[in-house]
Amino acid sequence: MNGTENSIQKVNKKRPRSTGLVPLILLLGVLFPLLLMPLIAIFIFASRSGLDGFLSALSQADAQFALRFSFIIASVAALINGVLGTFTAYVLSKYRFRGNQALSVIVNLPVAIPTVVVGTSLLLLWGPIGLLGKYLDPLGIQPMFTPVGVLLAHLFVTFPYMYGAVRPVLDELETTYEEAAYTIGASRWQTFRFVLLPALTGGLFSGSLLTFAHSLGEFGATIMVSGNLRLRTQTAPLYIFAQFEAGNIEAANAVAAVLAITSFILFFVLLRITQRKTVQVT
Amino acid sequence: MSIILSELTKRFGENLVVNKVSLEIQNGELFVLLGSSGSGKSTILRMIAGLTEVDAGRIELDGRDVTFLPPQTRGTGFVFQNYSIFRHMTVLENIEFGLRIRKTPLEERRQRSEELLELVGLSGLGSRFADQISGGQRQRVALARALAYQPAVLLLDEPFGALDVKIRAQLRERLIDIQRQLNVTTILVTHDQEEAFELGDRIGVIERGDLIEVGNPEELYHRPKTEFVATFIGNGNVLVGRAEGGQVKLGSTILPFPKNAPFHDEGAPVRILFRPETVVLQDQPVLQKSDIHMLAQGLVIQRVFVGSQQRIRLEVDGLQGVRPIAPPPAYGQRMTHIVALQQSLSSGDRFRTGESFWIGVRDYHILAPTGLKILTCYDESPGGEAAFEFGARLAEASRGPTTLLTVIEHNQALAAAKEKLELLRPKHYPHPSHFETRVRQGASAAEILLEAQDGHYEVVVIGQRGRTVNPNLAGMGSTAWQVLNQAAVPVLIVQSPRPNIQRILICTAAGEPGKSDVRFGGRLARTTGAQATVFHIRRPRSTGAEKKRTDRHLRQAQSTLESLKVNCEIKVIDEAPLPEGILSEAEQGDYDLIVVGAPAPRSPQQFRWKDLDSQIVNGTTRPVLIVPMVE
Repeated sequence: MNGTENSIQKVNKKRPRSTGLVPLILLLGVLFPLLLMPLIAIFIFASRSGLDGFLSALSQADAQFALRFSFIIASVAALINGVLGTFTAYVLSKYRFRGNQALSVIVNLPVAIPTVVVGTSLLLLWGPIGLLGKYLDPLGIQPMFTPVGVLLAHLFVTFPYMYGAVRPVLDELETTYEEAAYTIGASRWQTFRFVLLPALTGGLFSGSLLTFAHSLGEFGATIMVSGNLRLRTQTAPLYIFAQFEAGNIEAANAVAAVLAITSFILFFVLLRITQRKTVQVT
Repeated sequence: MSIILSELTKRFGENLVVNKVSLEIQNGELFVLLGSSGSGKSTILRMIAGLTEVDAGRIELDGRDVTFLPPQTRGTGFVFQNYSIFRHMTVLENIEFGLRIRKTPLEERRQRSEELLELVGLSGLGSRFADQISGGQRQRVALARALAYQPAVLLLDEPFGALDVKIRAQLRERLIDIQRQLNVTTILVTHDQEEAFELGDRIGVIERGDLIEVGNPEELYHRPKTEFVATFIGNGNVLVGRAEGGQVKLGSTILPFPKNAPFHDEGAPVRILFRPETVVLQDQPVLQKSDIHMLAQGLVIQRVFVGSQQRIRLEVDGLQGVRPIAPPPAYGQRMTHIVALQQSLSSGDRFRTGESFWIGVRDYHILAPTGLKILTCYDESPGGEAAFEFGARLAEASRGPTTLLTVIEHNQALAAAKEKLELLRPKHYPHPSHFETRVRQGASAAEILLEAQDGHYEVVVIGQRGRTVNPNLAGMGSTAWQVLNQAAVPVLIVQSPRPNIQRILICTAAGEPGKSDVRFGGRLARTTGAQATVFHIRRPRSTGAEKKRTDRHLRQAQSTLESLKVNCEIKVIDEAPLPEGILSEAEQGDYDLIVVGAPAPRSPQQFRWKDLDSQIVNGTTRPVLIVPMVE
């Protein structure tokens, strides 16, 4: 593996590059205020009151809950959508039926819908006066403004990421790959378990990370369905928003920094995976 | 474990990919399905494995009907062209996969896979992954993987397609070894003739979904039954002569029918195959050996050095009336080409371009006769439509080659006429390659007669073409009249639509020269499966001797028809007025076709039209076939 990576770098080095400085400076001039400076601001503010201030801001019960709740919701969302997304991708990729195309489009819709709209539509379905909610409410079942409601919102919003990561891998595998397993005697499930799933690991991993990262940062739908209840349904982004509004910039900043760092780590891991995949393909 | 396919059929949408393929493969046999790409050979293999659904027909593996079973339960081993080695598994894990699925204990399956690794010559590579081994090695892993769980049937889909020539040769030998050693019934699909010859116990040649011919390699090469196999396999010379007097007339040469040659009707076209290596080139037409048959003199036009041998192409002028099939004549090529293979000598070449040689053949083979070769003349009158339909029905029944011809004036558009004919191409014609359309420009009758002569057709189907009723021409147009009078082959005139061909009335008069009408009518009855009635009207006041002759003639007619396996009856009536007797019989029996004889034209210009025949054509709307008598 190492050898192939080296050879790719060598190839890259050989590519002729123009050494124009002007475009580079222009590009940095755009990127710096647009992307880099806001990120830097978070850390500057977070470190203003020193490590102690940062830690004490984090150690508040609200902050602790919000972070823990966000990580749990993100993990569960990644897990559930991992299964659902893979299943959806498998069915839509391997079975031919009427409406396959339409379903493939619908599955990707959550990316295009504003998250606040998602929150609203969930409320209109499950809320106390919603289409289903109005029958469930008398039975004492009320998913909205509870952790379940938050999870529902996150599942909805992050659904396309898993699907999007797995579907192309499945589409790319030649059908003979499965057919070989069938003729050998493997059932559909065995074929999926022993032949397809191992081939999907890369897609599964990057899909999960994407789902996790998006769930961690979800705001629009969450604020609609959670009711923003402290120590009950308040996720980290909601906490940051609430603290900021209340003027506790330090508290908001500390949690924001944690989220930012987590995202960076996830991002770099993802980058590594995708790089390794391209190396494998070559 | 035998494999039996019965009438296996598959369509992809409108496309008939596999057409009623029936095949029986013996225990332990290595059977090769040979065909060009898109011929349907892989689809057959996939249907046997259960990877493609069957539309119609049956698949039996060792007496078990597996037609509708899923692939998992069929017990076949399949090797794909792209190998499809599982990438995340090692070579060993790949091979073990089938045993793992079958829950074989670890120890046993390790042992078995090690054995297989050794069998395919990959010992020591068990821990590698697919991307760490070469293409040839991957192919062998795929083979080992397919053999691991001891499948009853091994199916190989172009297994050597993606490998280079040298590795391919090695792997072929290894495959034969392994197949013999394990005695596993195997079907291999390939488009490579050499591969098919080298590997196959038997070969099935497939084209456009039809299994054309099955046989062992030598049979298919030296003694093919069909023209397709003769030209598809190897480089053959195929020429069409004519059966005359129990021999084959090929230009000015007469060749005897070899023993066991398929039966040919008198006058029927005979297709002769001789391989380039059996061609003898001599400076003199003398027969040095008695088993060489001289054909003609030819001119060397091309010489290609191919290592141990040289391929020489000669142009022959002297083969009158011979139609070349292979090597396929180029457009506008007038002379027959013959390909010869001669040893190449270091002493230089004797066969320089432009030199002339006498061409002889040491060995030749006669292909099975085709169905009737039919020329249908199309015009836009209602009679033309009827002729086209009846001709198509006849072609479908006889499965013979058909040409649809239309003649246009010199100032008319050729392309438009051709397009119009193409639209008439029958949708489900059994052998699309046997259907041709042709447009000629000029005077209708002359062009039809020319085409009939050039194309060696056996029957011409024509409508009445009567735009104006002319009592002198028996109600026909002048074109039909001229064709009827001058054609040297039987002419079938169709005046109105006739939906089927079930009953044929053969009108015969004792004492006519030859028996062509009975024979040809019999051939038609055989190909269409129709019932034939031989009908005779006794002359008034016939003598005893005349009666005897008539009886003998009718007995002969009956035995001729019976030898053709035609369901026939003899009908004799006394002293009826002549055309009316026949016409009323035709009406009463509701015959679909009336066959009458006519004297052969002595010279192209001489009209032979007999009163009787014209009265019959004039008196009925049923199709009438006029057969010229061969003396």
